[in-house]
Amino acid sequence: MNDVIIAARGLAKSYSRGSEQVHALKAVDLSINRGEFVSIVGPSGSGKSTLLHLLGLLETPSSGSISLEGRETAGLKERDLVKARRGSVGFVFQQFLLLPTLTVQENIELPLLFSRKPVEQDRIAGIMEMLELSHRARHLPHQLSGGEMQRVSIGRALVNEPRIIMADEPTGNLDTATSEKIYGLFKKLNNGGLSLIVVTHNMELAGRSDRMVRLRDGQILSN
Amino acid sequence: MNIFSLAAKNLMRRHVRTGLTVAGVAIAIAVLFSLLSFNAGYERQLGGELNSLGIHMLAVPKGCPYEAASLIIHGGVIPKYLSYSDLEQVQEIDGIEVASPMLLHQFFKDDKPHIVYGINIEEQKALKPWWKVEGRYFKDDETGVMIVGRSLADKENLKVGQVLDFGPDKVPTTIVGILERTGNQDDEFHFLPLGAAQRIFGKEGQLTTIAIRVKDLSNISDISKKLEQIPDIQVVTMTQVMGTIMNLVGSAQALLFSVIIIALFISAVGIINTLIMSVNERTREFGMMKAVGASGWDVSRLIVVETLIITLAGCAVGLLVALVGSKLVESFVRGVIPYSPGGELISIDPLLILVCIGFALAIGLLCSVYPAVKCARLTPMEAMRSDLE
Repeated sequence: MNDVIIAARGLAKSYSRGSEQVHALKAVDLSINRGEFVSIVGPSGSGKSTLLHLLGLLETPSSGSISLEGRETAGLKERDLVKARRGSVGFVFQQFLLLPTLTVQENIELPLLFSRKPVEQDRIAGIMEMLELSHRARHLPHQLSGGEMQRVSIGRALVNEPRIIMADEPTGNLDTATSEKIYGLFKKLNNGGLSLIVVTHNMELAGRSDRMVRLRDGQILSN
Repeated sequence: MNIFSLAAKNLMRRHVRTGLTVAGVAIAIAVLFSLLSFNAGYERQLGGELNSLGIHMLAVPKGCPYEAASLIIHGGVIPKYLSYSDLEQVQEIDGIEVASPMLLHQFFKDDKPHIVYGINIEEQKALKPWWKVEGRYFKDDETGVMIVGRSLADKENLKVGQVLDFGPDKVPTTIVGILERTGNQDDEFHFLPLGAAQRIFGKEGQLTTIAIRVKDLSNISDISKKLEQIPDIQVVTMTQVMGTIMNLVGSAQALLFSVIIIALFISAVGIINTLIMSVNERTREFGMMKAVGASGWDVSRLIVVETLIITLAGCAVGLLVALVGSKLVESFVRGVIPYSPGGELISIDPLLILVCIGFALAIGLLCSVYPAVKCARLTPMEAMRSDLE
């Protein structure tokens, strides 16, 4: 049990769409071990992203529980959820969501502003070097390629030194070669001991992870 | 990078919109500051002007409203007169230091009104010891002589020694002196010996008013009562004149203040609208910020700081515009109020600057509360999925 970094029990999420009640996720049980690289796959609307967002404490489940690094998160106050997110999880989004007025370096440093941690220039430089972004440090997002923007987004996820990276369709907006490169980067981070949960449509890339979780209609088909 | 530089960079993303919002706040603050400054300056100048008259009360013909007294002060003409027997009765009352008869007459030259005061010069000099003259004063029994105010001389290009054809019969009248600038309405008038003025304008034996200075101000009430026992006379004290003018000005000010309040309200609605639009457009960004570690308070703080930057920048621009444009505002205000004293009407008071800064801060905080609270309450995914309403 000590190896489990995040565990979901009976996790469900429902929401209203007009008069219709949508059950996006139905009583899902899932455990991810420390240092594991897990891909979540499934057709559109299967509940992949919803599962990822719940695991990352970005929204609250309708029922069920999540344990993050051994700590039960149900009933936590907003303040404690923020602390848990800051300390344990780094997020990567399909749309990158970089701030257009900030440079590459400033976008990477942004989470430090919120966690009130000092900016250690050597560490930031190290992250940019690992992501091959050093030469782009002072560029604005609109001057970057899609792959570069996603690497900035990964740098931003890494800056708070999380134990787990969660990526929602990180290659959804990228070409094949760039997607390969991003997955290669994930593999490198995983080899460094970081846990990864990646939601993807790309079965070929998903096949390179340690484990593939298949979802359909809000339920796990295979794990 | 800190919260202020992040907020400033966000604002510069939409610099036209930010600029327009800042301009809206600036206009509101400029008008507010100008009006508050005017209010303070007006009362000070009016009080100063009435003091500088050197007169404690005016005896005017009975039935003459208080407004007549203010007309007299700045040269209006009333169609009723006192007699020399009234003057004698006034002079008999104990406690009066000076009782100086005056005749006022108004005539038009090139469609512009000109005011003539018929005065006894020695009494006027006693009432207005600060008077200084370029040239000389006339004597009370002289004819064909006058002195003029400095502003009038400048406007009409009048010089000492110049001869003007004066009155309906075009009586040649020599300017023997030009008053040094007094800063009050005297700068605009013609002054003639009382007897000469009465003859020129066909008002022999008639007086418009008697200017009175008392020996001891604490007796002013008793003296006023004694004066009112004279059948033809009504007394107006300078305090009453000031009150009457302030009442007249008060209604004009109430109108101006209403306009300001509406302007400020429109400005506040504009800021709220801009903020909500700005927050709506960036809801996903705020969601992202929460996902990477921002708390609801962090997001609220960012929104509040952005709003305060807008309102304080607007306040700074508005104050600058008001300070630079105070002359324009003064001439505008002079045009819309019933009576305005001479001198600087706009009083620049540091306290008023602080009031305006405080006001801008209050508007900023008020306007940012709704979007800040709304955004702070959303979960990261709600923010990334939805727009604020």
